[in-house]
Amino acid sequence: MHSTIRELLAAAAQDFGAQDAFRYKVKGSGDGGKKEVRIEAKTYTQLKEDSECFSAVLAALGQKGKHVAIVGPTSYSWVVAYFGTADSGSVVVPLDANLPDADLCELIDRADVTTLVYDEAKAGVAQMAAQRCTKLEHILCMSEPHGIAKEQSMWELIGGQGAGFDYVPQPDQLATIMFTSGTTGKSKGVMLTHRNLAENATCLDMGLESGIVILSVLPIHHAYCLSMDILKGISIGAVICINDSLLRVAKNIKLFEPNMILMVPLMIETLAKKLEEAAWIPAPLVRAKVFGKQFHTVCSGGAYLNPAYLEMFQKYGITIWQGYGMTECSPVISTNYGDFMKDGSVGKLMPNCEAKVVDEEIWVKGSSVMQGYYNMPQETAETLADGWLKTGDLGYVDEDGYLFLTGRKKNLIITPNGENVSPEEIENKLGENRLVQEVLVRESEGVIEAEIFPDCEYAGKKKIKDIQGELQKIIDAYNQGAPLYKRVFRLKVRDTEFEKNTTKKIKRF
Amino acid sequence: MFDKLTDLITNYVEVKKEDIRPESRFMEDLGFSSFDFMSMLGEIEDELDVEVNPEEAANIRTVQEAVEYLEKISE
Repeated sequence: MHSTIRELLAAAAQDFGAQDAFRYKVKGSGDGGKKEVRIEAKTYTQLKEDSECFSAVLAALGQKGKHVAIVGPTSYSWVVAYFGTADSGSVVVPLDANLPDADLCELIDRADVTTLVYDEAKAGVAQMAAQRCTKLEHILCMSEPHGIAKEQSMWELIGGQGAGFDYVPQPDQLATIMFTSGTTGKSKGVMLTHRNLAENATCLDMGLESGIVILSVLPIHHAYCLSMDILKGISIGAVICINDSLLRVAKNIKLFEPNMILMVPLMIETLAKKLEEAAWIPAPLVRAKVFGKQFHTVCSGGAYLNPAYLEMFQKYGITIWQGYGMTECSPVISTNYGDFMKDGSVGKLMPNCEAKVVDEEIWVKGSSVMQGYYNMPQETAETLADGWLKTGDLGYVDEDGYLFLTGRKKNLIITPNGENVSPEEIENKLGENRLVQEVLVRESEGVIEAEIFPDCEYAGKKKIKDIQGELQKIIDAYNQGAPLYKRVFRLKVRDTEFEKNTTKKIKRF
Repeated sequence: MFDKLTDLITNYVEVKKEDIRPESRFMEDLGFSSFDFMSMLGEIEDELDVEVNPEEAANIRTVQEAVEYLEKISE
């Protein structure tokens, strides 16, 4: 187990030096000027060297120990800036590239960022930040500079540095501030140390072999992607392939031939439909067509996944490892893996994590629990109690150490007679029906209401004309088996998908 | 372009080619999910040898808008 990010990277460079750490597409011109896509790779040694050069760049700019924000889609440059910042003793602030420019500027200010590293695709925010964010001292562009004030080219600066950077961050030193993409309220800056992150990524041996090919499709600023794809991937010597856009997942699966992909449930649901559509051909062929025959594991996290998908993917020889976590715990709290799987559970607690249940709510403690929210003492005090992190999730741990979740505390509906109803429990039940594509359960004017976005494609296939009537039948069937206080009294049908946040969770309010 | 696109659409969702109208909305009328839609655009990229900008693509709602966008980028 490693206790700093620098240790983690140094060990990987030593063990896997000449092996590919990253593979990604680059565009160029082939024979006769025709556009051509090539795969470029970077080894573990190169990653360590480039990161150290970036650390030296920050030191030369007088930015050691300061806050460095990174914004852009997943790229090799992004990862170099990430390791280079954290390992130099500075604090890395990964930003959500999908947020509007003005919101990003607000986060840059709130996190006291003095250096902004940006990808070409986010030139707009660099331009705006140069004018609005008065604390900004330097702007580094991952590609050619755009003529913005205080701006320099990251790779030009790196080219001017000699190899090696001598600094040893301490395990309990602040490494990152990550903004939560909460579905309610103002986003909070989660402060995590080197130990928080490094131990979360390395305390559990999941039996993954070095050289395993991972396709990274989730947004990189997200704690789950950063910890599992990047930090864990590097610590085990994986080959991490970068998916350039959600547009091209299918194409990139064929190109990079991954063994494993980390996904959120929404993606699993879509891929499940693809598998089912081809269900008339033999299972191994379906798998080869959709994922390639080398593919074997999906890691799922970020939201609830209906256990029915586990069984369905298993038919095609694909295992889903359902996990659970939150940014405040760096982020993994528990996961199913290898021979340690239990139906309906979000897995065994991580070895560096203990849990207790207080009023049905899960509290966790251990070396991955955050230091607090940046500049938010009140919110911190509400969330941390004597080293325990109040997860806000309801559930229990069984005698074998497996965690089960039953709902979200803040979503709880308290009925007029004082009964507590978890909307997720009802949503999951209704969602089991194929006609229900998305569902949100809430309290409205004193009764429980379900709003449903139906799967029109499915309705078409099954020749269902009266969708409203059919949905009402589903609700009636649910109500029959449910206690009175958990019954759904009103149905609303919508003709558009629910609005989601950037991690594809339905915005609740 | 409209013809080419409708061919592709029928590979993704269960609609008859002749039922697809320029004003049909991908999600609401044709039953696309956001991930289906993205995947289809990925396929179009190969077929037309063009490059779709994911941010611009996110604003496309109807078949007609998609046709106009694809005509613009394949010029």
